[in-house]
Amino acid sequence: MTARKPTIVGGARGLRRALPLGHWPVQWPLDLDRRSFLGQSAALVGAALLPAEALAAPLHYDLKAVQIAPDTYAVYGTREYFSRANGGNIVNVAFVVTDDGVVVIDTGSSLLYGQTLKALVEATAKRPVARVYLTHHHPDHIFGSQAFDPATVATLPKVIANMKADGEMFAENMYRLVGDWMRGTELVAPGKALEESSERFGSHEFELIRMAGHTSSDLVILDKTTGVLFAGDIAFLDRAPTTPHADLDLWHKSLNQLENSSFTMLMPGHGPAEKGKRAVEQTNDYLNWLERTLKDAVHEGLTMNEAMAAPIPERLRGVALARDELGRSVAHLYAKYEEPFLPVVGDHS
Amino acid sequence: MRILLAAAAALWLGLGAAIAAQPPADPLKSVMWERMYEQFFAGKRVVFDGKVSVIAPKVAEDQTAIPVTVDAGNLPGVREIVVIADLNPIQKVLSYEPVRAKPYISFRFKAEQGTPVRAAALTEDGVWHMGGIYVDAAGGGCSTPALAHGNPEWITRLAEVRGKIWHQEGRSSARLRLRVVHPMDTGLADGIPAFYVEKLDIRDSSGAVIGKVHIHEPVAENPTLTLEPNLRPADDRVIIKGRDNEGNEINAVVPVGVRQSALDVEADRSVR
Repeated sequence: MTARKPTIVGGARGLRRALPLGHWPVQWPLDLDRRSFLGQSAALVGAALLPAEALAAPLHYDLKAVQIAPDTYAVYGTREYFSRANGGNIVNVAFVVTDDGVVVIDTGSSLLYGQTLKALVEATAKRPVARVYLTHHHPDHIFGSQAFDPATVATLPKVIANMKADGEMFAENMYRLVGDWMRGTELVAPGKALEESSERFGSHEFELIRMAGHTSSDLVILDKTTGVLFAGDIAFLDRAPTTPHADLDLWHKSLNQLENSSFTMLMPGHGPAEKGKRAVEQTNDYLNWLERTLKDAVHEGLTMNEAMAAPIPERLRGVALARDELGRSVAHLYAKYEEPFLPVVGDHS
Repeated sequence: MRILLAAAAALWLGLGAAIAAQPPADPLKSVMWERMYEQFFAGKRVVFDGKVSVIAPKVAEDQTAIPVTVDAGNLPGVREIVVIADLNPIQKVLSYEPVRAKPYISFRFKAEQGTPVRAAALTEDGVWHMGGIYVDAAGGGCSTPALAHGNPEWITRLAEVRGKIWHQEGRSSARLRLRVVHPMDTGLADGIPAFYVEKLDIRDSSGAVIGKVHIHEPVAENPTLTLEPNLRPADDRVIIKGRDNEGNEINAVVPVGVRQSALDVEADRSVR
């Protein structure tokens, strides 16, 4: 076996080690070809800026703040999966402008996203950020927090533990999936572990609701002043829910709790903010269908590849990425459903 | 001069036949293809004729358990199926002799990085028919410790077998799904020596071989196989016998049960 140690280094791991974060392996002065290609104008940009930024088209997140309620703004991501085209801008972020500063909920997928978001928030609100809440530890929600003062960044203790456990793996995977958009991005631990059940900023009181199911710890936030519920990824709308760390039973419990609580508007982690409970109902419906589909497939003796090809019901065809997320969910959950169904056979005792 | 040329040509042709097959151009354009050919098929005739289908996700969600289905049902008399992942530190994933079974196997494997996954089916004429697909994956599937190492309970369940047989109405083959509790350590994770299932034989109650699976390190933790044995009316059970590289034995008996199908519709909607 020792003779068969791997000779190939590679994958995201190798690539990331080869390219130090935040730097590009281009030295000043530029080589002649590049200098002549760039011409005189680029040379005028100045030595401080010149490495790579001047060579590649600059990456730029086109973020817009959309007012959805008094003092309350949504920054919508695309209803897509991570790609080099979208730079990981697939998630919803929200912020609430209060007299004590701005409260930001989730931060996007990269340092650059976080910087762009911070500039947008400050330009819109014309005041500093007082609090940044992270709803859970998934990469599209947390990595932008690097752009904010860590002392203002807060989440539940278990979310912090999950970030520490999975953060490095997430970063590597994100470099692989979106590439250069991640430049300089590193995991920064939130400065505050939330123990309180609510926090007040100006006239806004934020109820901090502990839930679980999408991950082992999900923070749902209700702005009691406006009645807007920030559901994080407990609720999706018109975009298929994701399940890499899901516990479907706990998730249903959380959704049922939301079904029975009152709020004026729900802002999901992915998809449009709406009045009413369509996001709760659709997420419940999708997860019920997913579970039924997985169980049926196991009962019928299907392989994972066959389960991934199950038909999407008519009513869920408008849900973006349902086909792709079914494939991912089979990878996440199928073995768990097989285990109790396949009977133990043979003479093992 | 003309005679010399003719002699040279004859010699050339003769040599060509003696040298036999060269690796054909690889539709997957893998940088490792020539090495794979030399290592696993040297001197053999390999053809990419579209008769072996390899089904796997284009992008692996979990690099420690990538589902792969190989179906060589378009070929008569398949003796053996070999599965290789070019860019894995250990390239051979498994081989399968479907003695009295459809040339079909489904399993999960670990990839150290994105890699071509290819399957070749050997027919009676000595030709290897090859198909494949490129699977993109995050790094580290082969060098990450098995989940079992986070749970000391696993040793008490080592070699436990779960399994079930489904009859497939209107088809000559049944479907057998098997799972063996085993960490399947590749030896590439720090401080964890190689420890993996090597062999699983499936026999009927008279002891006649239905199929033989030769398993290698890259097969995923708790190997989960789907096979399609051709059962006879008299078969009331299949017998599983295997071992790992430390000599631990794997034994199980899977009852055939009532001949009722739940699979006919689903199987047809799925594989191809």
